Amino acid sequence: MELNLAGLSAALATFLGIWGGHVAVRKFEANLRDLRPALAICVLLGLGTWAAALLTDSMPVSAALGILGVTLLWDAFEFHRQEKRVQTGHAPANPHNPRHKRILARYPSATTLDLLNRDPLGRPVEAGEGPELDDEC
Amino acid sequence: MNFFGILIGLSTLLIIGLGFVWVIRGERYFGYLWWPYLLGLGLALAAASLFLTNDAASALLGALGASLAWGATELEEQAVRAELGWFPFRAQKILPPGAGRIRKWRGPRL
Repeated sequence: MELNLAGLSAALATFLGIWGGHVAVRKFEANLRDLRPALAICVLLGLGTWAAALLTDSMPVSAALGILGVTLLWDAFEFHRQEKRVQTGHAPANPHNPRHKRILARYPSATTLDLLNRDPLGRPVEAGEGPELDDEC
Repeated sequence: MNFFGILIGLSTLLIIGLGFVWVIRGERYFGYLWWPYLLGLGLALAAASLFLTNDAASALLGALGASLAWGATELEEQAVRAELGWFPFRAQKILPPGAGRIRKWRGPRL
């Protein structure tokens, strides 16, 4: 029986596309002074990947490129969502980044603490309990 | 022109979008300790996709498997988000078999 590689290819593109985008968006959003070039690069790379998906005859390759294209286009939108998370304190602000410095000055909810960096305790916690929580587990 | 990839890509976007919903709801009612089961199910679906002869069915099953595996890695962080009050918190969880042992493992966070 011949194995169909379309699914494996789609699975790898989905997992690696989400993972890479998840890490890269956080990293670049925290360090870039201006997000617009990164947004433009994501859109161009996404559209370029989609163009390549149209041109290949291989189904596994087309599936992988189609999925990577969509995750790159989504990443452009995620830059915006990530900046919102920094404003609400759901993602840590980088005090060395002038754009984040402005967010810290303007939004009382913004913080340099990574509030998610703790183990679940099975009960509601205060954000202010923050770093001490790590020792409880 | 091969539209297969773009159609699969758009369908995958929907599958990933559903991931947001089931990770949030699933963690609320079942807790994050189900993650090894979801990771296993995701890998099993991706492996099963190898045996489907229809390209679209195979690709969609593979994408669904990968999305379940990714969601498994998100559950622990989602539990913390709910405890912080960013999402509704529910103390009673329907725990998986072996929950006590899984609790001692370090959950995957990517």
